[in-house]
Amino acid sequence: MPVLLTLGADLGSTASKCVIMQDGRKIAAQTTIPVGAGTSGPSRAIAESLAACGKNLADMHMVCATGYGRHSMTDAHMEVSELSCHARGAFFLFPKARTVIDIGGQDAKVLRLSGGRLNNFVMNDKCAAGTGRFLEVMAKVLEVETADLAEWGAQSTAPVSISSTCTVFAESEVISHLAVAADRRDIIAGIHKSVAHRVAGLVRRVGAEPLVIMTGGVARNAGVRLELEAAIATPISVSPLAQFNGALGAALLAHDRLLQQL
Amino acid sequence: MSGIEAKLQRFAAIADDLEGQLKKYTDQGVKVIGCMPVYTPQELVHAAGMLPLSIWGSEKYELIEAKKYFPAYISSLAQSCLELGLRGRLDRLAGVIIPVLSDALKCLSQNWKAGVPQVRHIQLVHPQNRRIEPGIVFLSKQYKKIAGVLEDIAGAPITPAGLKKAIHVFNEHRAVMREFTAVAADYPHLISPLARNAVIKSGGLMPRAEHARMVRELMAECRAEPKEPWKGRKVVLTGMLADSPSMLRILTDYKLAVAGDDVGQESRQFRTDVPDDPDPYRALALQWANIEGCSVAFDPERKRGRMVADLAARTGASGVIYLLTKFCDPEEFDYPIMKKEFDRAGLPSVLIEIDQQMRNYAQPRTAVQTFADMLG
Repeated sequence: MPVLLTLGADLGSTASKCVIMQDGRKIAAQTTIPVGAGTSGPSRAIAESLAACGKNLADMHMVCATGYGRHSMTDAHMEVSELSCHARGAFFLFPKARTVIDIGGQDAKVLRLSGGRLNNFVMNDKCAAGTGRFLEVMAKVLEVETADLAEWGAQSTAPVSISSTCTVFAESEVISHLAVAADRRDIIAGIHKSVAHRVAGLVRRVGAEPLVIMTGGVARNAGVRLELEAAIATPISVSPLAQFNGALGAALLAHDRLLQQL
Repeated sequence: MSGIEAKLQRFAAIADDLEGQLKKYTDQGVKVIGCMPVYTPQELVHAAGMLPLSIWGSEKYELIEAKKYFPAYISSLAQSCLELGLRGRLDRLAGVIIPVLSDALKCLSQNWKAGVPQVRHIQLVHPQNRRIEPGIVFLSKQYKKIAGVLEDIAGAPITPAGLKKAIHVFNEHRAVMREFTAVAADYPHLISPLARNAVIKSGGLMPRAEHARMVRELMAECRAEPKEPWKGRKVVLTGMLADSPSMLRILTDYKLAVAGDDVGQESRQFRTDVPDDPDPYRALALQWANIEGCSVAFDPERKRGRMVADLAARTGASGVIYLLTKFCDPEEFDYPIMKKEFDRAGLPSVLIEIDQQMRNYAQPRTAVQTFADMLG
């Protein structure tokens, strides 16, 4: 039987991620481009993944699109919501996962899994607070790279309080702190706490049943993760593939579909 | 085009054209009274020889004028009703009855008085102690007072016999609509969620007897067709409003049929008849006392969640979609209690926040698609 190749493309609001899998077991390629749906990101991510394993799109036995831009990917054979993909990806990486916290660029979601099946979920309302976008806006105000936020926040000795959960008002609050010469490291630690508390509210709505895992780009920020662990009083596991979890799930669901068709 | 499709298009055209319906009837010399959400004694309007027109806001206008009166965090439904008035889109109304069943509606009522003086404002205060005798007496008196205003506008008296006849017409319409929701659940391949809403919504925009006749004809045509197994899933909708075409089309995209509803604009309007009573004003007041499971009608037992779970079990629905109108406090207050009831019944549910002026449905689409996946 030939090797079954499936491609999962997670076309998010702030980044495009792509994973190619062999037989639903081994990752052949993974790529991320830091721009999302509606940009050159999706095509670049797919092209780079294919190039990384020396394949063409025509070599893919099934292509599954997910994420905010999933409807615009005309080459996809199937499109699945990012929540279903994150559930599938999480089950692959952590078979004992019961709670998945996915903080993406535009929204935050909490999933409840049972035996790998999604049986409950909540999404944040239409608000940037508690999302990757919130961190990006704050990083810009603080003149810090988003990727460096965790390192800066870890050096804080007295985190400031960011009382507002609205991105616009929180930005004003951060500027006020800067105006009185508050330490940037303390402001960043306060921002991490603010995001964590916002997401913890969502987690409580489905319950933080172990094993809790975190996916999405924000999972790479240890500052948010540690604050979230404290807020929900439960350890959180993070895979090095956290940012690729949606694309991974899409590639796995594409493989599942292939098996159904055989 | 089949007869069913043609009929559904007719309902859709009416449901989509509040202003056109108002013009049509006023051009015919009919006096029209606007009836704002959620409950109004439309029988009184009918008995006075006028047409009650149900107004549930509009997706068509951006909220601009209403912002002069409302802060952003008020239900878009209340804001949209005021926007229609402030833009002069309802100037042909002979009056408007505004109940004050929530904080937003209280503000709508007072803002209307200040901002839309050209359309006579008729305030309606429902008692929340609605089942005790003083509450029933109070509401009967409210209705008599409103009847006096309507008589003044109509230039015609409301007689007890005329009111009893109006109650009969409206109860018949309610029965037909209850029957329709069952037919829609049996024929999801013929009646989509959007078409179902249009059939129901159009009932508030035309004479009820004529609407009942049209719905009976539609049902007869549907029943002449074979029932087909539904290839998707069936759900129950709950919330104050579920009339967004974009939202309802998403349900169709993911093969979700509506098995039943607990929507303020839909079944809550016709699931409780006006009971028999020698005094028709008292009969109308008793209907308010008898309403169950509505977020704006105080219920110390909070039965709504159980009612929706029972409806799902009765209709074979495998899940509940809670369409929460953003900033609608009474609906927000009910949700946590209802969610516990759904969980207790092992009934999957999803909460989706909607806003009448929403233009981007990406997040609701993702939620509905995921929920459909979850239901399997």
